[in-house]
Formats: sequence, structure tokens, C-alpha cells
Amino acid sequence: MTASLKVLTANDLAGGQVVFRSGTGWSDRYADAWIFEDAAAADAALDAARAATLTLADPYLIDVAAVDGLPVPTSYRERIRALGPTIHPDMGPQAEGGALVRALQQAQGAARSSGRLGLIRRK
Amino acid sequence: MFQYDAIDRAMVADRNAEFRDQVGRRLTGELTEDQFKPLRLMNGLYLQLHSYMLRVAIPYGALTSAKMRALAHVARRWDKGYGHFTTRQNIQFHWIRLSDTPDVLDYLATAELHAIQTSGNCIRNTTSDPFAGAAAEEVDDPRVWSEVIRQWSTFHPEFTYLPRKFKIAVTASPQDRTAARAHDIGLVVRRNREGRLGFEVIVGGGMGRTPYIGATIREHLPAEHLLSYLTAILRVYNRFGRRDNLYKARIKILVASLGAAEFGRLVDEAWDGMDRPRADLPDVELARIRASFGLVDFRTLPPRSERFEAARADKAFARFARNNIVPHKIPGYGIVQVSLKGIGEVPGDCSADQMDALADLAERYGHGEIRVTHEQNLVLPHVALDDAPAVHEGLAAMGLATPNINLVSDMIACPGLDYCALANARAIPIAQAISETFADPDRAEAVGELKIKISGCINACGHHHVGHIGILGVDKKGEEFYQLTLGGSGAEDAAIGHVLGPALAADRVADAIDKLVDAYLAIRQPQERFLDTYRRTGVGPFKAAVYQDAHQA
Repeated sequence: MTASLKVLTANDLAGGQVVFRSGTGWSDRYADAWIFEDAAAADAALDAARAATLTLADPYLIDVAAVDGLPVPTSYRERIRALGPTIHPDMGPQAEGGALVRALQQAQGAARSSGRLGLIRRK
Repeated sequence: MFQYDAIDRAMVADRNAEFRDQVGRRLTGELTEDQFKPLRLMNGLYLQLHSYMLRVAIPYGALTSAKMRALAHVARRWDKGYGHFTTRQNIQFHWIRLSDTPDVLDYLATAELHAIQTSGNCIRNTTSDPFAGAAAEEVDDPRVWSEVIRQWSTFHPEFTYLPRKFKIAVTASPQDRTAARAHDIGLVVRRNREGRLGFEVIVGGGMGRTPYIGATIREHLPAEHLLSYLTAILRVYNRFGRRDNLYKARIKILVASLGAAEFGRLVDEAWDGMDRPRADLPDVELARIRASFGLVDFRTLPPRSERFEAARADKAFARFARNNIVPHKIPGYGIVQVSLKGIGEVPGDCSADQMDALADLAERYGHGEIRVTHEQNLVLPHVALDDAPAVHEGLAAMGLATPNINLVSDMIACPGLDYCALANARAIPIAQAISETFADPDRAEAVGELKIKISGCINACGHHHVGHIGILGVDKKGEEFYQLTLGGSGAEDAAIGHVLGPALAADRVADAIDKLVDAYLAIRQPQERFLDTYRRTGVGPFKAAVYQDAHQA
């Protein structure tokens, strides 16, 4: 397991949907998320996201870990957020299926999102 | 049913125009998120786990067919085709876009609906009896007083920035269907020995991380002084309630720290010093409000309906009639309860098509009235027993005829971590698993009244503290675990439940409930509900049932 992999997430301001920082911009697919291996780069991206107040709400970093080579959020809260409601598999990004979605659905355990706790503290 | 006058209409229109302007300024960057968030919340719009959520008020749980159709339209046009009825008699739409919200609110206003008093540290939507105007034993129509409170509290300048949110319940029946004793203020309408109408005033109940059953600070407040006395309570709270600690800001903490007697004394002091005639409602306005309810055009019917009795030959209808229909104050009528707890379904969810069908049934057979219960069900309060078979048929066609009111599968569950940004654990899948476990309707009926209430976090939106069996989702070392409590009640015999033992993993909860029920069936005495047996025996046999093969806990 690689130490301290991060993904940057937020909600789209106008629509509210969950979005992730991708290599080129922002995407509503977790599969497009850019995996930050460098803490300084992740923090810089977070600062930029906080400045993007016209398009984003509540950006924060989440922890991910490589599981069978796929980046999976370590907290079940962030996995549910990346997938959509578990009671409605047809809703949210999970609807498109695929190996990564399955990896998130099958992942177990791990702690709650440290990124979210930071967000709460900030408020 | 209360109808808006020109002032009500203008107030809602002004508010919607103001919020449209605020949304516009947020989207163009004139307002920052920090500036905008409190404004958005004052209009019922939350940012949740996956999306924005709009909570629409259903004042004291009363809907008309027209209002229900408007909700269906919102669900279809701006959401994903469904809504979620909450434990506060409101409805939540879980997939609303911020940029659409001004249009949604304008549309809702055409049906006299809004999102005012659904968020923020103000006096929230008043809870009332879903059987109002239909229950035989009620002393007065609680909607009258709920509407009085709505008019008084809406945008009340003195009480818009309270230390914390504030919830009032009004009930007028001996059977409490509002959880009055778990509210910041619970009002129980009573007549005293002289026959004068008044309120038992209960203060300081609440759930959350520090649950309390409210204390009675006045046995019989003369009804005409309701508003001045409420003002006195709110003034004491506004002045002495804690603003330094979010978790100690509710009135229950103030009442508990002062003691109910001292709190009552402070209220009396504030009340005595007040210009009461100025604060209390003029009789003429009360009469106007009262006149707007009670206009139901009931027919004169024989108390026994032959058509109803004949329909009981059908097993499904007989079961529905036993569990979901209760007597009405008018002979020949019944109160039809519509369960939103289909086996394996999401408690409180209702599709747009179901909403439309209910609106049609209410219009055709129910004087156009629909009620929402705090237990996340719906009620057609005025159905002629002759029409009950047709109503049952219509409900069954829409998957709404589950005959389980007050039975084990009629659970409350908050949205939990499937939707809510505050949750620690999911609540809905637990409810679904329990529901499947008790899918056999014969067994559910044999078990009898059993109220299971599930919350996904300690904020207790799922009322777990007052469940006969309460289930609280917790995060235990990064996994979803569930703590069981027993012996709570939100009804007239209100009580806070006691923790049974160590929290259980998600996949053990339904099985544990099964064991609790088996333990109850083995030791119950005639006529005892689960709650009664628990109160008689204490926790012993139940603890043994769940933890006897423990060490796997």
C-alpha cells in the first residue's frame, strides 16, 4: 500500500453533484479522479479549488489506497459518496458499472474521511 | 383546510423573490459560499452527500390532493421521480439543483407550499396529529392551534436567530401521535374541570446526543394565552440558552440544568411582565382560523357498512382493515393509514406516480385530504367505510396497501449515510433487512405493536431513543456498527430507551431483532406489547437472547 494517496473532491456549485479533480479539470466520474501522490501538490490543488468559488462548493481531499492496483477511498463514507446511494444502484456514478465501481462496492473497513473532518473543523 | 390569504401569498412570493436574487448572486460570485450557506439553509436547501436536498414544509402534516400533485410534479420534473417523507412531517427531495431551486419554490408557491421553517435556528414546522379532525377522542382540532403557531412564528423577528432550532408539537388526543414529549415544547390540548380549553405545556424534550423526555411546567394554560406564554418560554430560552456550544444549545439542556421548576418560574416572571393582550391572538383571528378547518362535508351514514363487512371476506382486505383502518369520529367513516413501509422498500419514500394516485384516491374518496405522519406514513383521514374496499384496491395497485401499521416492519429510518452528510452509518439497508426478516404478515400480526426506529447518527432524526427497539448507527474503527436500545416510547407513555449491550455489525442486526422478538414471544403475558413485556421483565431475557452466543459481538 502506498502511503498517503489523495483525491480531491467537491460538489458542483450549480448542480450539487459530486465532482473529482481529474487530470484536466473536474469530472463527475470517480474513475477520472487524479491520484495525488505528492502531498504538496494535493494541497496546492485544494487551494486552487477553494479559490474556484464560482463553480465549486466544499472542496476537500480524501485518502485513497491502492487495492489490487485500483485506487479505492479508504473510508466507507467516501466510497458511498463516489458511488451514489447503495440502495439505488441505478443512481449516481455507480450506474455505469465497471471494475473500479466494483472495487469500491466490495471494499471493506477503514477509517472515516480525514478530509471531511478537516472540513468540519474549518466551519 | 386552511387557505392562504393575500398576506400569506405575498409573504411567500417575497421570500421566493429574495432567494432567487440570492441564488443569482451566489452563482455570479457576488456572494461567497460562507455568506450564502446560511441563506440557503433558511430556505430549506442543504448540501448533502451526493447533491443538494430541498426540504419542503408540510405544515402540521396536512396536504390536499392539489398539494400532493404539486409534490409529484416537483419529484418528476426536478428530481429523480420520488420524494422522502421525513420524521418531521416534511418531505425531502434529494436530487435538486441549486440553479433550479428558485423555479421549484415558485412552482410550489402556486400550490401554497414552501420551504420556510424547515431549517435554521428558528421555530420549525409544527408537528401535529395526523388524525386531526377525524379522531373521535380529540378535545379540539389541533390544526387550529398549529396554524396559530405557524402564523405567529413565521419570520418572527425575535425568534429567527435562536441558540438552536426549535420544534413544537400540538396534540389534542389522549393517544399521542406527535411525540409531543420529545419536542422542545409539547402542547397537549385539554379541558379542565370547568370545561375550559387549555394546554398542558411540556418543555425541554428532545433527542440528539442528550435525549430528554420533556417536563410539564404548566398543567393547564388557558388557551387564549397560548401566544403570550410561548413568547415567554422563547424569551427565557433566547436569553439563557447556550450559544457557546452547539451540543448544549437546545432548550432541553437549559431546562435540565436549571430544573423544570426554576425554568417555569423564569417563564412566569417573563409572562407576568408582558403586555399579554398585545401578545395574544385576537378572538376574531382565532375564529377566522378555526372556521377554515372543519368544513368537511360528511354524509350521514349508518355506523355499520355492509359493503365494508362483505369485503372482509377477502383475506387481504380483512388484514388491511385490521391493521390500517381505525375508527373515525363520524359514524360510517374510517381513518385509512397508508404505509410507506412496503416490505424491502425505503421507509418514507414515495414515487411521483404513487403521489398522484394518492391524490386521486383522496379526491375521489377522501374529501381531498391527505396527512403525513411523523412515522413516515400517510393517512387518508376521512374515508367512508363503504369506499374503503375501493381505496384498498387503488392503494394495492400502486404498491401502497402494505398492512403493517404499528407492526414490526413499520419502521422509522432516517436517510442515513446513503444520503446524509452527517451520518455515520446507513439506516435504510438495516430497515430493509429487518423488513425482509418479518415479511410474513401472519407472524408480524402475531408479534403485534412493535416500533423500531433507526438513526444513522447520534443526531437521532430516526428517533431511535424513543423506539420500542432503537437502532443507532455508529462508526466503530471505520466500520458501520449498530447499537440497540430497548424500552423507549414516543407516545403518551414516553420514555428513553436503554442500551442493550455492545454494538453489532451490520449483518447481525436483523438477526438480533429476530431474537429479541422470539424472546418476547416466549415470555409475554396476554395483551402485552413488546414494550410492556420489556417494562415488566427488564433487560435480562432480551440481553441473553442477543448475546448468549456472544464473543462474536
